Amino acid sequence: MPEPIHPKIARGSAAIAILALLEEQPLYGFEIAKRIEERTDGVLRFTMASLYPMLYELEKRGVLKAHWQTNPAGRDRRYYALTPAGRKELAPLRREWQAFFVALDRVAAFRHA
Amino acid sequence: MHDWEEVARRELDDLRLDTRDREEIVSELADHLEDVYERARERGLSELEAFRQCEEQLGEVSQVARRIERSKFKEGAMNHRTKTLWLPGLVTLTMSSVLLMISQLVSEHTGLVPSKLVSSENARALAFYLPWLITLPFSGAAGAYFSRRGGGKRLNTVAAAVFPAIIMLAVLCLIVPIGTFLERNTFIIHHLSYFAIAIAIWAVVPGTALFLGAVPFLPRKIEPS
Repeated sequence: MPEPIHPKIARGSAAIAILALLEEQPLYGFEIAKRIEERTDGVLRFTMASLYPMLYELEKRGVLKAHWQTNPAGRDRRYYALTPAGRKELAPLRREWQAFFVALDRVAAFRHA
Repeated sequence: MHDWEEVARRELDDLRLDTRDREEIVSELADHLEDVYERARERGLSELEAFRQCEEQLGEVSQVARRIERSKFKEGAMNHRTKTLWLPGLVTLTMSSVLLMISQLVSEHTGLVPSKLVSSENARALAFYLPWLITLPFSGAAGAYFSRRGGGKRLNTVAAAVFPAIIMLAVLCLIVPIGTFLERNTFIIHHLSYFAIAIAIWAVVPGTALFLGAVPFLPRKIEPS
């Protein structure tokens, strides 16, 4: 079981994780949380309390757009998709994080830790 | 089978959202809980263990609610209060005032009121007061409807519906200190029964009539299952 990430760090990275995931395809809330957890081997975990307010905030900012869709099993789900504004936001966000990791590595040398 | 929608709705009942937004969020969170449950069952957990996992998430629903209010609907308490109390209250007040005016005009200028009734002052008052009282539930219903539509909780809905009665009560209550201390008129102090009758006629009875109109629009409390 990986060590849990401090909530403040996790919160800061939540937006980019969601946007990067939705760049591939529209997903609904539970699926977003599940995929992020799987891809990060459980390091990043979203709870309902952290996921949905973040999704609504991104939706309000126009970065995401939500729509209801019925899946083959007949269940209505609210899918979130990246908007053109969201795609535009993702590229500089990636660069920012990359610069952040490089800078942090220089100071903390966490690759060799 | 658990009714997650009912559980989520109960938790989000106090959320300051309009009904449509609330229902959408309720459906989405219920869907999430259902997924958590199903996933736990697929992993081989028993029904009880799967339910426990959902319970952990359930504890977060009220947290979600507060954060949603802050993130999605940053309208501020004032704006929400305006939508659910002040504006609907103003609707009730305007409607009841207009109806009072119409009742007065109708009772004085038409032959609807028998002439022997109009001769007495009290009967003249009753001739417009009673028809007005009958119309008040409609005013209360209008205020309650708008408050509910704006996402008003039970208290706001009731307050918006009985708004004119609250205003009248406040005005009447000001009469005693103003009359006694500012105008140095002790009449009201010596005739408190008049004051009580005025409160009953202009605040309590109309307030009750207004409230009756609001009853169909009051949000229902969901009992825990």
